[in-house]
Amino acid sequence: MNSAGPPNSPDPKRFQVSKATLWFDRLMGVGIRFGGIGVILAVFGIFFFIGREVLPLFGSAEVERAGDVSAETRPAVLGIDEWGELPFFYDGTDRVVFVPVAGGERVEIPLTGLEGAEVTAVSYDAVHRRVALGLSDGRVGSFVVEYERNYEEGSNEELIPKLVEEPWFPVTTGEGPVTQVSYGDSGGARVIAVKRGEGEVSKAAILRLGMKKSLIGKGKLSLTGETDVTGELGAEAKILRASANGEMVLIAKSNGEVAYFLADSDGVSKRQTFMPFDGAVPVQLDFLFGGVSIILTGPGGAQEQWSLFRLDEKAERLFGETKVFPALGEGPVTFAASQRNRTFLTGAGKNLSLRHSTSGVVRWEGEADFVPAAVVIDGKGRHFLAASAEGEAKRFAIDDHHPEAGWNAFFGKVWYEGGPEPVYQWQSTGGTDDFEPKLSLMPLIFGSLKGTLYAMMFSVPIALLAALFSAAFLPPDVKRVLKPTMEIMSSLPSVVLGFLAGLWLAPILESRVPSVLMMILALPTTALVVGYGWARLPIALRNRLGGGREWMLVVPFLVVAGMIGWALGPVIESWFFIYQDPATGKQIADFKMWWPQATGSSFEQRNSMVLGFMMGFAVIPVIFTIAEDALSNVPKSLTAAASALGATRWQVVWTVMLPVASSGIFSALMIGFGRAVGETMIMVMATGNTPVTEWNLFNGMRTLSANIAVELPEAPVGSTHYRTLFLGAVVLFAMTFVMNTIAELLRQRLREKNKLV
Amino acid sequence: MEPTSPTQDQAKAGDQAFATTGRSRRGEPWVWLTAAGLAIGVTMALGLLLLIVIKGGASFWPRKIDLMEVKRGGETLMIAGYPVQESERRDVEGVMHEEVQVFRGNKDLNGESFIYLDRQEIVKTTRPDSLMLVERMEYGPAIIEPVALQTPEGRIEVKDADFEGKLDALIERSAEVREELLTIERKKIGAISRELKALEKAERTGVVKEEVANARRADLQGSFEKLQAEATEIRAKLAESVLLGMTADGREFSCPAGNLLAVFEPNRAGFFGRLGEMARRVGNFLKEDPREANTEGGVFPAIFGTVVMTLAMSLFVTPFGVIAAIYLREYAKQGLLVRIVRICVNNLAGVPSIVFGVFGLAFFVYYVGGGIDRMFFADDLPTPTYGTPGILWAALTLSLLTLPVVIVATEEALSAVPRGVREAALACGASKWQTIQRVVLPASLPGILTGVILAMARGAGEVAPLMLVGVVKLAPSLPIDDVAPFVHPERQFMHLGFHIYDLGFQSPDAEAAKPVVYATALLLILVVVTLNLAAILLRNRLKKRFAVSSF
Repeated sequence: MNSAGPPNSPDPKRFQVSKATLWFDRLMGVGIRFGGIGVILAVFGIFFFIGREVLPLFGSAEVERAGDVSAETRPAVLGIDEWGELPFFYDGTDRVVFVPVAGGERVEIPLTGLEGAEVTAVSYDAVHRRVALGLSDGRVGSFVVEYERNYEEGSNEELIPKLVEEPWFPVTTGEGPVTQVSYGDSGGARVIAVKRGEGEVSKAAILRLGMKKSLIGKGKLSLTGETDVTGELGAEAKILRASANGEMVLIAKSNGEVAYFLADSDGVSKRQTFMPFDGAVPVQLDFLFGGVSIILTGPGGAQEQWSLFRLDEKAERLFGETKVFPALGEGPVTFAASQRNRTFLTGAGKNLSLRHSTSGVVRWEGEADFVPAAVVIDGKGRHFLAASAEGEAKRFAIDDHHPEAGWNAFFGKVWYEGGPEPVYQWQSTGGTDDFEPKLSLMPLIFGSLKGTLYAMMFSVPIALLAALFSAAFLPPDVKRVLKPTMEIMSSLPSVVLGFLAGLWLAPILESRVPSVLMMILALPTTALVVGYGWARLPIALRNRLGGGREWMLVVPFLVVAGMIGWALGPVIESWFFIYQDPATGKQIADFKMWWPQATGSSFEQRNSMVLGFMMGFAVIPVIFTIAEDALSNVPKSLTAAASALGATRWQVVWTVMLPVASSGIFSALMIGFGRAVGETMIMVMATGNTPVTEWNLFNGMRTLSANIAVELPEAPVGSTHYRTLFLGAVVLFAMTFVMNTIAELLRQRLREKNKLV
Repeated sequence: MEPTSPTQDQAKAGDQAFATTGRSRRGEPWVWLTAAGLAIGVTMALGLLLLIVIKGGASFWPRKIDLMEVKRGGETLMIAGYPVQESERRDVEGVMHEEVQVFRGNKDLNGESFIYLDRQEIVKTTRPDSLMLVERMEYGPAIIEPVALQTPEGRIEVKDADFEGKLDALIERSAEVREELLTIERKKIGAISRELKALEKAERTGVVKEEVANARRADLQGSFEKLQAEATEIRAKLAESVLLGMTADGREFSCPAGNLLAVFEPNRAGFFGRLGEMARRVGNFLKEDPREANTEGGVFPAIFGTVVMTLAMSLFVTPFGVIAAIYLREYAKQGLLVRIVRICVNNLAGVPSIVFGVFGLAFFVYYVGGGIDRMFFADDLPTPTYGTPGILWAALTLSLLTLPVVIVATEEALSAVPRGVREAALACGASKWQTIQRVVLPASLPGILTGVILAMARGAGEVAPLMLVGVVKLAPSLPIDDVAPFVHPERQFMHLGFHIYDLGFQSPDAEAAKPVVYATALLLILVVVTLNLAAILLRNRLKKRFAVSSF
């Protein structure tokens, strides 16, 4: 202590804050600002991150030049290996030329089986890398190009090509050279479509091949039948295409029609004739990956997709037009289908475009330096090659990770292969490689809304009625206990609710639907009747018994009414819900069987009714708490004024409290909606998870949230499926965030309004 | 601010004025409708809790075993078991039947533990005292009539006086030996396989020469074989003693001591005996590992996983939530921007939990975890270490999910500290931080704690996001154990909530799993409700303390 200073003037240092304190204060200030803003930014970063995962879905394809090769030979057939490294050129002579893209020795492999005949027709099947040949002496046959990677040390892991020549078959139909040939191969059964001669005198035939079983080694390929189809065609065949599954042959004719033949073990039969371009002869006809759809191009560059489908369940599978693509323009048409998905490369003249058949969109458009004579996509769908008539070829790298995605694929109706009309459908994975993913989010959004609607239908009345009674009539000391009870209900883990819904409630309710209906009728009616009777009691008695205890007094009546309703169920069932067995004509009183018969929609054990009830446990407390707050905060001056003017207690509630608190109640409903839409475990466990799109109370649904929980762990990272599930999360987030924001704004406005009064 | 019922005020004004007008009757039915709404709501909440408590409790209660004589298709069957469920079933003719689902155990002999009986088929029911419920390592419980105990020292008949004592001793000893086996198989052999793995990695990266590695490998192989031989010997010894019995339908039954877990004679035991058995079952449920595809045994790993994950989550969420709230309430300028931020934070609480799970998978698991793998565990790639779902990522995901809960609660608590108290502190010369640290924070601590407890309750009950970021149906090892470095944040874990989902909906034997599911549900509900009650009580105390505050 400073004893030297005069006692009446304190040392000024006493009022100085120590440096350390100030320094620490500033440090904490900066630290907390930094931390606080950081945490808030991080939380919002979540949604940018999810958005970042989703964005690539909406991008288009990118194509880049990636090397060129020169074979100096006419590419009648242009083929390529799986990795796009070693293309081959075949010009219809007795050799096949392989030129590596990366530079290096070109390899020529001779063909041995021509026996001096001239090749007059070639075609290429990229699925099996098979070149089909038709010869001047009327023989048809093929060779397959195989690649093998050399993994020996010091070999640079280059590809080693190999030709596998297959037997020749003489065509007996018609005369002269084979002018067109197409080879369809499914491994076992195979089919070759052949045209001989040109013009009026030309003939068309379909050869069926089969593998003769042998005990040792591979079976022997042999001809099982040849069918002359010239007569059935009635016009000259212009384009012949055999499908990769070895069953179908399509022939475009000079009169503009396309004939569809089906070849099976019994023979060849014509199934359908259709006319795609009003009499104009198609200039291009090719199968897409999967062999269910074809792409046709007309003379003016008009491009259409036709697919096989059944109009109804009993009908035969026939071709029908499903999509029209933007016109190609003028010039010779090129076409190549991807072996990975339903992308195809096409173009007219110098133009090239990558298109996707499911979504029906153009993924990329560009121009080559020359008019391509042939194009091909590699097996992985990562590169394509375009070659000029002189044998100059350019390789392009395709960067298109999500061709099947797009606004229309997610939210629009899409005409999938095999279906009779455009639909909303979700089916993300299939059993086979050529499965066409169906990624419409609409059935899932519908499912979420359906589940929410039924949940709200059940919980809103109970929650609001309870909130009204609690806010208007319940004595404060009871309320202090009851409100937390309802709040605890909201904290029940949804997995427990879902498990009870699926394993406990669903089996009970399955056979007691009429009982449930009766209870829904009986309970409110009883309450109203009891209230009516109560009002007839002397007011002195009412005041002594009532005054906020009505909710306990009503319980015994409700219990009795509920039990009567439950017991009446089977009686009602035996009166109204009678199922008639169509076979025996026997009548059985069973709602479960009656419902599908009467309405045509299904009845499932895990249905929307069970879901609605269990979701009530999750939604009621949310709505109750917020609505109760809103009603309780109605200024006392208003209710007291109404009472003073002679309003009965219900009139106070109905004419004063409800209107004043209406925006708060509305906000409670919206928050309840938000909770129901995002609920996951109950939806997973109680709904059956089928993506149906009907409002039927007695079947389930598949919701956005359940779909994510079930499918995301299995989706490969970065795949279209994975990103689509993220998009589902974005949709879910957007729905709840919008709802909650509106609700929050409403609540704040209400708070200010109440302050003014 | 609590609104009092207008009725009470009116009543005081005088009953007589309205008594005759009939006006007071107006709207009464609607009042009763609202009363019914509240009654139904409260009944639903309490009813559900009661249902789970009863069902969960019943799954532990040792039921008495009936010996039923059943006539079916001209044959007479003897079935020992207890009914678990009754239902009505309509046959092809449309006639209703009362059906009883009976648990009869002996899954190894019958193929299924349950049998469905028509009520009319049961001719006679007795309860012989001698029936014994045998809990086994495999095939679930068995219901038998004990005959004898076959031991290396000789055969002890059930009539012998020391049968019971010998049986108990055998069970005790077999438990000890199993423990021993476990130590050998898990610890010792586990250590060997760990060293082998490390050796392989060291060899791959060139730290250890090939010859050295091979020598060590041979060494390890030798000690592995020795341990295995030891285990085989112990096992053989266990198989020497056998409990022999007869099933109700007269088939022979035998259970080697190694398989024997416990025996109980419910028909002989009195009420307290059964209570003791129930306590034993509850204890085992809490402390044992699951058996038989989780349908038998306990849920200890799931309890452990839930607790560790929830604690880790609260460890992350508390500091960040509190700092963000202090910033929003004490440091940020209260303007439009902060109001918008506050609305958004409020809204985050309403964002579906699965959305957070999706984010956790993409960001924590694949982005951050994948990054860590590339930086520190590049040797192990493509096998991911952190780039796969695990308990750390689950805790972080849930802490994001519960962050708004903590922020909102803390903000509320901070704003409830009266202005006068702060001003007093400032007037005494305290700096801003000193005011916050010494006055505001201590005063709002209960409120913050409430928020943290609520966050823990929400986190403990949440399952959907966990399905994406780290939970598994059966984790081979715990996230914290005695293997260095003791804490393994990258491991997957088991969780009570997911256990319910998995057992109820993915289990191959859903019927047999039901008791475990109900018991697990009860446990989870107990945890969550306790946490919530704690929060509510704390909040009520807080309210009283600041009853004068103006908020």
